[in-house]
Amino acid sequence: MFSKDAIKLYVIGISLLALTAFVFFRENTTDWRDYQAEFRDLVTEKFGPERAEQIPSGVQQIWVKDLDRVDRCVTCHQAMEWKGLETAPNPYRTHPKEILEKHPLTAYACTSCHGGQGFSTTLPDAHGNVEHWEEPVLGQEVSEAYLIKNSKALMEMNCNACHRYDRETKGMDYINTAKNLVEQKDCRACHTINGRGGIIGPDLTYEGEKPTEQFDYGRLTGRHAVFAWQVAHFQNPKMVSPDSIMPNFGLSSQDAQALALLVMSWRKEPIPANYISGVQLRDVPTAEEIAKEKEMLEGDGAFFVQNKCFVCHSVSSLGVNSAAKIGPDLSDAVVDVQNRFGRTLDDFLMDPTGTMSVVLATQIPLTTEQRHQAIALLKVAYQRKLEQQIKNASPSPTPAGK
Amino acid sequence: MATEEISETKASLLVTLREKLALRPMWEKLTWTWKPETKREAGDAIVRNFILHWFPAKVSLESLSWGYSFWLGTISAVLFLILTITGGILMFLYVPSVERAYLSVKDLEFSTSYGWFLRGLHRISAHLMVAVVFLHMVRVFLTGAFKNGRKAVGQNRPLNWIVGVVLLLITLLLSFTGYLLPWDQLAYWAITVGTNIASSAPLFGEPTRFILLGGTTIEQATLIRFYVLHCFILPLATFALVSYHMWRVRKDGGLACTEKRYEEAKKEEQPAIASKTYSLLGITGGSSVDVQNVMIDDEKDKVPSSPYLTVRLAVVTLATLFASIFLTLLVRAPLEEAANPAVTPNPAKAPWYFLWLQELVTITTFTVGGITINGALIGGIILPGVLVAAAVLWPYFDKSPVSSIGKWLPKERKWQNRIFLIIVAAILILTFIGTYMRGPFWEIYMPWQEWEQTPRRF
Repeated sequence: MFSKDAIKLYVIGISLLALTAFVFFRENTTDWRDYQAEFRDLVTEKFGPERAEQIPSGVQQIWVKDLDRVDRCVTCHQAMEWKGLETAPNPYRTHPKEILEKHPLTAYACTSCHGGQGFSTTLPDAHGNVEHWEEPVLGQEVSEAYLIKNSKALMEMNCNACHRYDRETKGMDYINTAKNLVEQKDCRACHTINGRGGIIGPDLTYEGEKPTEQFDYGRLTGRHAVFAWQVAHFQNPKMVSPDSIMPNFGLSSQDAQALALLVMSWRKEPIPANYISGVQLRDVPTAEEIAKEKEMLEGDGAFFVQNKCFVCHSVSSLGVNSAAKIGPDLSDAVVDVQNRFGRTLDDFLMDPTGTMSVVLATQIPLTTEQRHQAIALLKVAYQRKLEQQIKNASPSPTPAGK
Repeated sequence: MATEEISETKASLLVTLREKLALRPMWEKLTWTWKPETKREAGDAIVRNFILHWFPAKVSLESLSWGYSFWLGTISAVLFLILTITGGILMFLYVPSVERAYLSVKDLEFSTSYGWFLRGLHRISAHLMVAVVFLHMVRVFLTGAFKNGRKAVGQNRPLNWIVGVVLLLITLLLSFTGYLLPWDQLAYWAITVGTNIASSAPLFGEPTRFILLGGTTIEQATLIRFYVLHCFILPLATFALVSYHMWRVRKDGGLACTEKRYEEAKKEEQPAIASKTYSLLGITGGSSVDVQNVMIDDEKDKVPSSPYLTVRLAVVTLATLFASIFLTLLVRAPLEEAANPAVTPNPAKAPWYFLWLQELVTITTFTVGGITINGALIGGIILPGVLVAAAVLWPYFDKSPVSSIGKWLPKERKWQNRIFLIIVAAILILTFIGTYMRGPFWEIYMPWQEWEQTPRRF
């Protein structure tokens, strides 16, 4: 019994060893290693062994924290930013340079525009035409399936994630056409898009978020896909959903494809605001604030508004009102400076101390001429103030007493 | 006898390991470093070794046989060991947060060195463990191994059976909690279905679900709860109970199949003799406490645990590991889209070992004259509750004779085994239907029938 068991032990032990070797083999014979070796050969042949040595090996990735993307495409597509491989076969071809200048790899990675499964390091999974991955690489393969002439057209859907508020974007012909059609056919008559439009049809602002299961593919021939449904629907709404009251606009198949891409691009992508084209990242003053500033600019105190003195100081007698009022009102600066610093206004402005020395040295560098102008204006302001005081203090029509 | 023992001791004292090794041929040195040369040495090897000390120094041949136990308990323990080791490594690589969990599993699949292997092995071993623990229970029932035999001190096999039932439930919970961790659609909706069944219990159903989920929906609170249960509390409970389970096996006098020899011995030997009396009244009345002796040769058919048991243990361990790795290479661990509460997959299925429950829920949901019977309560709570209760209580109501213990499908236990096998078959059939025959909208599809196309974006 014992010797039989010992033999079993040896047999299983050796089999296990073989199996372990196979695991090791599988881990170390991935396709990307072949691609990297081939790329090194190509570079050696074209540029010599010295440059080939500089090529990094192992899994490569671009991590863009802002977009929460990790793209390992560059593990195989290593020539992205190489010069001189513009005509090499893929995956060894240089990326077109113009688009990378505005959209650097380090800020956008790959899948933001191209689609695909960035985590993956195997070809079918990475290119994403696999089960349980809904964002395939939008290139030749998908274009051919839908008979789209321009294989780069589909990618515009992803571009529009950031460019959705542009009226027109350079190089995005399909999406531009679609955006034009939205205006021409006045889609907003029935549909709300981005918070503007009618309520007869459904709100389309996040049409691209609608899950695949929520479309009725019953009347669709061919593949059950959202894109196919959208194209068919744009060409003949009643054919796809008989209850629809949407008119048939008689769109060409290319226009229908363009519109399908546009509505599918309307998603709730978590994109930081600084990535979204056309969005201004600043506090916009209210109309009231703008009107007030304009009014002050036209008055006698325009000098103090132009030179931003009014950020801290009011000059009330000249009609200049500071919102913050950090500093004293300059209407009585002529006497106030004397009281505070024991110096004349002329003397102080020419050679200020304290806060004003810092402000005038760094933030509001007034020339000597401008300083003289300020002094003169402040004297006028004081004069004005005195006049106003006299006016207010003058005996009122009602008798003060008996 | 005495002189033989002395000479054995002398021999083991005189001949050191080094000397013995020096005398052995080279091929033996390379393949087998140590071989006990006396029974004493073999016994010492078991007693002195921390890991092996819970084995007896000697073990009967029928306990070692492949065909009686199929070593299913040992295989379960080995699978648990594989799961502990792979799980321990996975804990360094997995992030239990709803934002990162799915991504960290994708990383395991695609960029971590051997990540696909670790995850695959962990997953396969977990599924195997559920299956093997279940089969272990089936074996114990069919051989009547939960029954007490000879009146030995401290023998309590029914208690160990109950510990086993609890271990089966913990195994299911371990697998169920692990199911959620990848945070993909498969995980999310399987746990949704599972916890919804639990919530249909009256009174404590909803609170149970609330405590389990840490809220009313499956979110971050659920993930971290399941993670802590999966990686800490349940494994700890399993380890403690398995240790107790093993200890009880020895306390109960070994595997149930050894009971046969006592029965046989009883038949062979002359009737037991009343050997001692302790009371005067007993002597006069002849009805005192008897100490009855059944003389059996305990050493007959027994072999030293080292190497007989240890080698078999090694064979079982390596074979289990081999099978798990082989299946890992054969089956790719699935990872669907990231969890999305807004999109319910059609069909949404519980983990496979709960699919018989999901089927029961379907079968027991029906409408009679406008009143809908809640299947989740009957099929999801009451029926499985009754089954577990029956399993726990069964040893106390099983009045089959002692002679049926430790034998496969004995005539004396024909009815018990028939009932049990019918239940097991029903569970297996329902599991099969749920796994392979339920398609979109929970309609029946034949395994070879194609489901309708799953819609895609492109």
